[in-house]
Amino acid sequence: MSGLRWPATLRARIFLILFVGLAVAYALSFTVLSIERYLTAKELMLGTLENDVATSIAVLDQLPAGERPRFVGRLGRGNYQFVLGEGVPGAPDTSRHGAEIAARIEAATGHRFPLSLETTPGDVQRLQAHLSLSDGSPLTIDIMPRGVMPVADWLPYVFIVQMALLMLCAWYAVRQATRPLGRLAEAAETLDPNRRGPALDETGPSEVAHAAAAFNAMRERIAHYLEERVQILAAISHDLQTPITRMRLRADMADDTPERDKLVRDLAEIERLVQDGIAYARSAHSSGEKATRIDLSSFIDSIAYDYQDIGKAVRVSGVVSGTVATKPHALRRIIANFVDNALKYAGSAEISVVRGGDGRTVIAVFDRGPGIPDDRLEAAMKPFFRLEGSRNRETGGAGLGLAIAQQLAASIGGAVRLCNRPGGGLAAEIVLP
Amino acid sequence: MENESPSMEHVDHILIVDDDREIRELLSSYLKKNGLRASIAADGRQMRAFLEANTVDLIVLDVMMPGDDGLVLCRELRAGRHKATPILMLTARNDEMDRVLGLEMGADDYLAKPFAARELLARIKAVLRRTRMLPPNLQISEAGRILSFGDWRLDTVGRHLLDREGTAIALSGAEYRLLRVFVDHPQRVLNRDQLLNLTQGRDADLFDRSIDLLVSRLRQRLGDDAREPLYIKTVRSEGYVFSVPIEIVEQR
Repeated sequence: MSGLRWPATLRARIFLILFVGLAVAYALSFTVLSIERYLTAKELMLGTLENDVATSIAVLDQLPAGERPRFVGRLGRGNYQFVLGEGVPGAPDTSRHGAEIAARIEAATGHRFPLSLETTPGDVQRLQAHLSLSDGSPLTIDIMPRGVMPVADWLPYVFIVQMALLMLCAWYAVRQATRPLGRLAEAAETLDPNRRGPALDETGPSEVAHAAAAFNAMRERIAHYLEERVQILAAISHDLQTPITRMRLRADMADDTPERDKLVRDLAEIERLVQDGIAYARSAHSSGEKATRIDLSSFIDSIAYDYQDIGKAVRVSGVVSGTVATKPHALRRIIANFVDNALKYAGSAEISVVRGGDGRTVIAVFDRGPGIPDDRLEAAMKPFFRLEGSRNRETGGAGLGLAIAQQLAASIGGAVRLCNRPGGGLAAEIVLP
Repeated sequence: MENESPSMEHVDHILIVDDDREIRELLSSYLKKNGLRASIAADGRQMRAFLEANTVDLIVLDVMMPGDDGLVLCRELRAGRHKATPILMLTARNDEMDRVLGLEMGADDYLAKPFAARELLARIKAVLRRTRMLPPNLQISEAGRILSFGDWRLDTVGRHLLDREGTAIALSGAEYRLLRVFVDHPQRVLNRDQLLNLTQGRDADLFDRSIDLLVSRLRQRLGDDAREPLYIKTVRSEGYVFSVPIEIVEQR
């Protein structure tokens, strides 16, 4: 039993239950019918046999011995013949069936002619009943019992057609039940609240329509919450920016003291946190940026130069060539976030472009910093992730850089990969579609 | 030097339009402290009323304002009789869309809030310098325009070059600023001091690349041969000249 595996799909399970149930019920009624028919037919046959045989024996007994051979042939029936004489000797029959036949013939003749029943050798389905008529001459009844219930040739075909019909109905019912479920799962899988795809079809049986309507309503709610999240963050940031600007300007107006410098640094920190939060909230929504074909070499160079111009050690390694179609602002932000991290933890960064064998372009930012423990590489891309001990002013920040990069990468159809380099340091890569 | 004799010199008059009272007052007093004239307006209505009676050299315009926002006001100014007055936009967030929109509406530069007062002052001066050096036939701040020269087109909103096939060639910030100075002053010999002066604007204190290095980088971007340059020619012991005619291509 353990060898039989319960099928994995609901479709197969329901089909199996329905089909097996129907087939067993069908087989049961078929069997009951057969038994009933067998019993009736047997009763009928034995009844005919005992009456006819008893009458025939009585007729032969009354006839003069010379007349008997003329009638013997006429008294025979399909399943028995009368033979004048001893017949063929055989073994005494011991079957219950034979004894029953003999007893009933004896009873019908008023027990005047004791029967001895023998099976003829060689032929299994042949019995011979021996008896002596009242004048002492022997009589043999040659019985060839036919199958009590001949099965019509067309019956198996009817059975096959019925089975096929059963299977078809079961399959159709299962499909009716499971198809909407499949559609629902597919809709949930492709659910993207940012994109207003077509709503799920709310027609069909009432349960299905209800589920579809509930799903559509849930999708609306998710989209609404996401929108609300962005709006709240934007509102907070806007409301914060005015007081931050005021404080910043007041600090600028104040005398040049170490306290003032500290205030300016704190304000810059707050400002960056606010901006990271906004950028993260926005990166979940696809920006309105259009894809353009950009020249990779100048694109990477311009990023490196912008860093070099403010005195940061960022260089481009290897030869970059070719073009890609992408959203340049999003891609620039992703690479800038990688570079910012590298500068934060390692002090310098190296940008490199590799064309993969499958035609994909991979832009990698390498550093020689402490890297990230292998078991935390995945967690590093979650929002608000920070390495232990990095909560200080030098390397602080909201921990949103990689999360923003990942969301933006998804919006341009790419993917972010992190791995530790042999010899120490981190490689952050964006794989372009 | 010029601050000591205001009666003799022209003092630049800046109008600050911002809905936050403290910010406009702080800015105004900072600019005054640094030798500029400053006036304030709280909204579009006050701005219009002020401009009826006064002339200003530059308008600092906040984008996020109740009523008519900065973008609307900017477009209005550009369409009216103040179309030559430089505008510096203060965007409420460091948002790419705001920046692009602002530049498309005709702002000359933008600054994201919060900003350092020093940075604003540097930007104001850079914008004033740039607009004054412009030849009259080349009006700055034409909405959403693309400049064409030789084999190239320059997208002044996206801040990149476009080649014949329409592929975007990115420029670093410094490269863009230098190219912008060249295309704003075609066929004029500019010496290194002038170039440095004009290129400085944003991140003025952080800019430490020599002009010669920048020019060679720019030539590389333009596919220019340093020995026989087509676009940026070297004028011995004087400086550089952008020797290709510029065409304004309107593209929306």
